[in-house]
Amino acid sequence: MTQRVTGQRFRQRKLSTKQNLPVLRENEVEKLPDDDASRHIPKVETGVEKGEEIVTVISAAQAAAQGGGKAAHLYIPTPDAVASKLQYEDLYPRHFTQPATYIRFSSTVEDMIGCPYCMTAEDVAWLKKYNEKKSKGVQCSEDEFEQVMNFFEEATQTKQPYAAVDNSPVLSYEDLEAEFDETISEPSRRFAKDIYQHWKDERLRRGNRSLMPTLKFETNLETDDADPYVCFRRREVRQVRKTRGRDAQVTEKLKKLRKELEEARLLMSYVKRRELLIRDQLAMDKLIFEQRSAVKEIKRKLSIKGDDEELLINQKPAPKPKPRVDMQAVQRGIPGMGPKPQVTRPDGRLVDSDMVSLDDQLAKKSEMIDGFIEENLNKHQKWNVGWVDATWRPITPPLEQSAAKSDFRRVFTDSQLPTPPASVSSEEAGDAMAVERANKQVEPRRSARIRFATPPDDVPYQDQSRFRRRTGRGGRVMIDRRGVKRQKLEAIDERVADRWKFAGDSSEDEQTYPVDWTDNLHIRYRIMIERQGEKQHAQATAAAAAAHNRRSIENHNRSASGHLMPPTPTNTG
Amino acid sequence: MAPRENSHEPSGTPVPVETGFATLAQLRVGVKAFVEKDGEKRKAEILMTQIRGGKPKFYVHYEDFNKRLDEWIGAERIDLSKEVEWPAPEKPEKKKAGSSSKTDKASQSKQSKSDQKNPKRSRSKLDREISATPEATSVNLPGKAPRPSKASGKENNELLVTSEVTDGTTPKPEDEDMDVVDIQDAAAAAKAIPAHEYSREDEIEKLRTSGSMTQNQTEISRVRNLEKVQMGKYEIEPWYFSPYPIDFVDSEMVYICEFCLSYYPEVTQFERHRSKCTLLHPPGNEIYRDDYVSFFEIDGRRQRTWCRNLCLLSKLFLDHKTLYYDVDPFLFYCMCTRDEHGCHLVGYFSKEKESAEGYNVACILTLPQYQRKGFGKLLIDFSYLLSKREGKLGSPEKPLSDLGLLGYRAYWQEIIVDLLIDGRVEANIEDLGAATAMTTNDVLHTLQNLNMLRYSKNQHVIVLTDAVIEQRERQKAKEKIKGKRSIDPDRLIWKPPVFSAASRTWNW
Repeated sequence: MTQRVTGQRFRQRKLSTKQNLPVLRENEVEKLPDDDASRHIPKVETGVEKGEEIVTVISAAQAAAQGGGKAAHLYIPTPDAVASKLQYEDLYPRHFTQPATYIRFSSTVEDMIGCPYCMTAEDVAWLKKYNEKKSKGVQCSEDEFEQVMNFFEEATQTKQPYAAVDNSPVLSYEDLEAEFDETISEPSRRFAKDIYQHWKDERLRRGNRSLMPTLKFETNLETDDADPYVCFRRREVRQVRKTRGRDAQVTEKLKKLRKELEEARLLMSYVKRRELLIRDQLAMDKLIFEQRSAVKEIKRKLSIKGDDEELLINQKPAPKPKPRVDMQAVQRGIPGMGPKPQVTRPDGRLVDSDMVSLDDQLAKKSEMIDGFIEENLNKHQKWNVGWVDATWRPITPPLEQSAAKSDFRRVFTDSQLPTPPASVSSEEAGDAMAVERANKQVEPRRSARIRFATPPDDVPYQDQSRFRRRTGRGGRVMIDRRGVKRQKLEAIDERVADRWKFAGDSSEDEQTYPVDWTDNLHIRYRIMIERQGEKQHAQATAAAAAAHNRRSIENHNRSASGHLMPPTPTNTG
Repeated sequence: MAPRENSHEPSGTPVPVETGFATLAQLRVGVKAFVEKDGEKRKAEILMTQIRGGKPKFYVHYEDFNKRLDEWIGAERIDLSKEVEWPAPEKPEKKKAGSSSKTDKASQSKQSKSDQKNPKRSRSKLDREISATPEATSVNLPGKAPRPSKASGKENNELLVTSEVTDGTTPKPEDEDMDVVDIQDAAAAAKAIPAHEYSREDEIEKLRTSGSMTQNQTEISRVRNLEKVQMGKYEIEPWYFSPYPIDFVDSEMVYICEFCLSYYPEVTQFERHRSKCTLLHPPGNEIYRDDYVSFFEIDGRRQRTWCRNLCLLSKLFLDHKTLYYDVDPFLFYCMCTRDEHGCHLVGYFSKEKESAEGYNVACILTLPQYQRKGFGKLLIDFSYLLSKREGKLGSPEKPLSDLGLLGYRAYWQEIIVDLLIDGRVEANIEDLGAATAMTTNDVLHTLQNLNMLRYSKNQHVIVLTDAVIEQRERQKAKEKIKGKRSIDPDRLIWKPPVFSAASRTWNW
């Protein structure tokens, strides 16, 4: 209707949608633009329904709004919705609690509405009368009634799908009874026969049509097409061309689906079996526990002593301590090589390898390495029995027992020396001890750095100060230190030092010593320190090495070689 | 256009409308009489008569009103003190062949309700005969013989009006020719466009492959079949026919469960249902939530029952919606408000999983009990948000209803004016579309409709008219008072669903 063919008097440029058009205000355009001209802009078909009469009213109203400069209040009258008299609160109880996350939901209506048959007023009346005759114990509930009715309806639907069309007789009770299945519960069946009569009456009253009103679906009769009540037809699917390739493809796909389904099923059955076993085991444990308490009771009564371990305590070995096995190696004081990050599986063990946990594997591996190292060490010691190894950096220091890991302590524990003032400026610096304790949480390195607990990553390894205590011969206690600025005991040397004061081009603090980081001693030492760190990490994660105080690092950059310090009793005060 | 040319013929010889006084007994289908409506007398056409409870009842259509206001009335509301218009006498047969569907429609509407169960027989026969022997006019319409005058009378009457509008040879400017009289005529004309322009076969084929809006006049011209609907806290008067079970025509009230949308013809059944129903929100995934509304996405294929129920419900309020085919190829985006009772369906729009014509909405509806509260705009906004997320331009499926068009035009206007008003000096129609996910055509239509697209100084310009600016200001002021509800794109958790070829073809 909007399309009007008009005689054009002059040709105009076509409107291009890609072109930028100037945006103007009303006052920037000349008044009353040529009406004709504006009409030459091609009218756009909105596809708005042509038959919709009010559409024209709308455009009229809008035209009026534009023309008059006033918006006509547009109102399309519609039939009213009014408040219902039904008791909303009763019918729709307040059950909904909104989950924090967006709802995800896939159950269907059928899953959610229970028995689809709903009692009519007639049903209610019938049931009331029926129950009156019955004694209290055997009354038929509404749910049971509906279950039976629903069963009758559904059974009829499957047995006589065209009951409404072909005037087939109402099914007999015997026919229906033969169909009883799990959809109709035991208690409901008791009433089935009585309800049948009612159902049959209702059914007959409606010409053997379904009692619950149903939609009309296509029946493939000719009448379907124009029947306004027939709805939701299937869309005929375009026939896919049948080729051999396609067939194979489809077969493959089905096979694959089948296989996947089988696998999933198998998995589920295993899970089920496992859970059953667990249940059995729990039952067994409980039994054992109970019998033990019985035994205990009896023993107490008969006042038998002894044998408690056998009878009353679980003999099952405690589960193997988990991966921290390397601790033992550390304790033995033999620094082994650190566990490799990935376990390369021995070839032969692939079969049940799935069942072995990675932790176990790692532990085993590192144990093996540690064992190997220790063995060699022992061998070495045997060779050296009676000999003094006077070489530089002997593998086994002849007189020292290899320092036991446990002998290494953090210097600044509560019972020992106070923590030196923090070098890293921190508002909590004053209360370092408290911080250290507070730090024994999970927070590892990162925050620990601020709290001067673990050696910071960015300070060079050799600059970090370390301590250990050893017990020497005769019970002498020695504290080894590393990276701590030596007190300037050698005051005498001042003069000497002075002599060299300006000799180099670098200040003494910047002096560095070349270190061969790959040499054995260093590796060993580093490993040992690392082990120590690990252990402490496990005990109190954050507080690993409070002794590695940064302050001293700043004071003292010496001892960069990483050598074990000679056993000098010191006091770092 | 073809049908109108067809209708030119009678316009040459206009048949005067026959008027006169009538008695109650003389009233019949096709008669136009004055009927009291909301305290006013309005001219209404009788579409159907029936005896109910011993009294005659008339189903009337008020002129100039949408069909949704058609209603059953008692004889006491008909004003017989005024003259009635009689349906025009029968026209030559030739006429009827040309507009068979129309005739058919008329005949169909005359059929009593019991008859409606099986209208096809007479109809298909009719169609066949018409198509088979278009010239054999005398043999035509044997079934209609007993009541020819009524049927053809109505048709002719309407066609007559049509011609009056269309045969005006001098084109008038679009915006000016719409005075009241013309509107009436146009309305009648629109109604009278014969449906054979769009054959039923075309229609079905179109529906099979896409969309859910019917273009076919015969599809939409049915007498409303439900009296009243109870849903949630409201009782609603249906507007249009919906293929609920045929038994429901006898119920005074049909009860619809607010959550699962199941339908029950009597209150006892409904109450029983409510005691068992555990659904509390639309059965799909929530994809959007703000403190006002939630949106749920529901796949017609997975939630067939629920979506069918929804379609039946919405058909009560959508004239052009068709339920001819099943819901499988659609996704339903349902907007809900929440409280402790559950998520109350407020409105929804459906969307084809794959639209050949680039529609981003198939049907869109705010339930009548929630209308005029700004929900429609949220729905439209959300549909465009989805299109933006998909990186596509979208447009609603046509035809739009009157209310739908109103809603869309308001939305388009607001969005486009907002974009233009920011002080830019140039605008490009395609860019406007891209920024709003609107099709170029819709942008053009909006600009044109607001008289913003003009030709000045030898070039096209976009004019922000005073009227448009004023309207926007007023709207802003209103929003300030009432608070503005809008869709927040950040709260949409959604990826465009992908449907494999298999899920589209293995429909059943």
